[in-house]
Amino acid sequence: MEKIINYSDLLSVFKNLNNFIIIYHNFDQIYKKIINPQEIQNLALLNIRCIHPPKLFFFKVKDILTSFTSVEKILLLDVKFCDLKAIRILDNIFIGEEYVDEKYKIYKENTLIISSDCINPQLSCFCSIVGGRPYVEKGDGSDLNISFVDENNLILEAFTQKGEEFLKENFNEFEEPTKNDYLKRNSVRVVSERKIYEFNKEYIKEDKKNKHYLTLKNTYELESIWEKESEKCVQCGGCNFICPSCYCFLIREASKDYKDQHRDKVWDVCHFTGYSRVAGGANPRKYKYQRFRNRYQCKFVYRYENFNMYACSGCGRCIEVCPGKIDMRKVIRSLVLAKGEEVLV
Amino acid sequence: MSIYKPQNFKIIKIIEETPNIKTFTLKPLDSDKFSFKTGQFIELTVYGVGEAPFTPSSSPYKTDTMDVTIMRVGRMTEFLHSMKEGEIVGIRGPYGKGYPVESFVGKEVLIVGGGVGLAPLRSLLFTLIEKISDFKKIVLCYGARTPSDIVYKYLFPEWYKIKGLEILRSVDRCQPGEWDETVGVVTCLLDKIKIDVENSVAVVCGPPIMMKFTTLKLIDMKFKPNQIYLSMERNMSCGLGKCGHCQIGSYFICKDGPVFSWEQLKDIPEPFE
Repeated sequence: MEKIINYSDLLSVFKNLNNFIIIYHNFDQIYKKIINPQEIQNLALLNIRCIHPPKLFFFKVKDILTSFTSVEKILLLDVKFCDLKAIRILDNIFIGEEYVDEKYKIYKENTLIISSDCINPQLSCFCSIVGGRPYVEKGDGSDLNISFVDENNLILEAFTQKGEEFLKENFNEFEEPTKNDYLKRNSVRVVSERKIYEFNKEYIKEDKKNKHYLTLKNTYELESIWEKESEKCVQCGGCNFICPSCYCFLIREASKDYKDQHRDKVWDVCHFTGYSRVAGGANPRKYKYQRFRNRYQCKFVYRYENFNMYACSGCGRCIEVCPGKIDMRKVIRSLVLAKGEEVLV
Repeated sequence: MSIYKPQNFKIIKIIEETPNIKTFTLKPLDSDKFSFKTGQFIELTVYGVGEAPFTPSSSPYKTDTMDVTIMRVGRMTEFLHSMKEGEIVGIRGPYGKGYPVESFVGKEVLIVGGGVGLAPLRSLLFTLIEKISDFKKIVLCYGARTPSDIVYKYLFPEWYKIKGLEILRSVDRCQPGEWDETVGVVTCLLDKIKIDVENSVAVVCGPPIMMKFTTLKLIDMKFKPNQIYLSMERNMSCGLGKCGHCQIGSYFICKDGPVFSWEQLKDIPEPFE
């Protein structure tokens, strides 16, 4: 089902939604949790993705592993393509394998994800370079998508049963978009995609044939380059924490005794020295450059081999957060150049 | 039930193998049996202290209790070594893939162990002994640092009696008169064995440096990459292929291993680092 709606009507529908806890973001790009929907001031649909990654709501910073609490029904609003792709990576890890992480599954099941097209990409955005795009289609992982005919008129498209029901319940009286609306919407998408190529043309070519994977797979032994590129890394873990697809966690045992089992998990960081250290002190990734290299290999080689997609969605958060101003795109460019491959457009 | 929640086991027996290695016999509190495949591992919790991965050293045919042989190396094992019979620990698992014993049938099986690395291999050995006529022969090469570092000293006399099982042992160093078998690293035992390489498999477990040189030696002896099996060791934490700690290349050791063929590992840079 598809509907066309203008911004103020959309806002008023959301202000009257009562059976969800709404998570949305304002112009400050920070997720807010709203219990009374009347408090929603505006929907910053023209923003890029939030500063914080949406994994916060499924793969929590800290979560108890030994007991369940009741789970609230959440409406997660305005998720962009990059973050949907990251959620797909997390899905593969937490619910796509033999063992299902029940908590992650329940959080996901109780969340309605409404995505929106990204029409104002920023300089740090590089989704299209790693196999993504700044707009959302069916199968990308959202229940419903908001796309733009122009800055005031929006198309709502349901992609899942959950999305269909939501659309029918709340937007039934609105009209269906015309062919012309779709044409206009598509040209908005093209402009946005072109912007991203423009921002990234000095770094790397578009990755049409998964060339980055093939090239990066063979860069492991370029130790001097990894050492040079990781020089400015202070191992703060900022990139890991802010990354929407980083999934590593640490289990912390805190039981009082065997009758009162208690343990939780907290996000962990592969850049930390202790991350891969084993009992007795041996460490397979002793040096900073090895840990730095491992993160790139994990994102562009290892998880690509597992899931046939990069575990990097090109959201650019790691570029913005890095106190050492390390830019993933520049690192990849250095590596690709060192392999003697052509990178510039 | 949460996949991260352990089952309770009671420590019913503790054997002191060496000054820093103990074997704990564990019995499930709330069920009659605990099953695993040889080579699979478990996560053992000392409540309030921590959790760590170990491979059972008992026979998978014995399901009422399970043995785990543990060296004291870190904080958690230090604590575990201070525990007494009757105390309770937590167990999750079994996890991962074990030894592909079915594919060993009709072959000569070469088992190479170093130090406490004999623990998972003992479980394998029990499994093979159970159906010993299925295998052409079994050769165990075991190396320890000194004679007193040898684990399961009390089992060797029985094992020597078994037809179809050959045993060679070495120690890295010893006092004069203390040892009348081979002195040297475990790989030197491989020069002494007679084995039909083409119709054999080799199974290796020990410290990383020992695994590395044994693998190189086996390749030298013309073993093919798919004939060599290694029990890999990292800091497996969740055991479920999620937390990320035990990644090696695109594998999660906990889920895709801990037993790997050299075929799977040979293209991974520095697998023994």
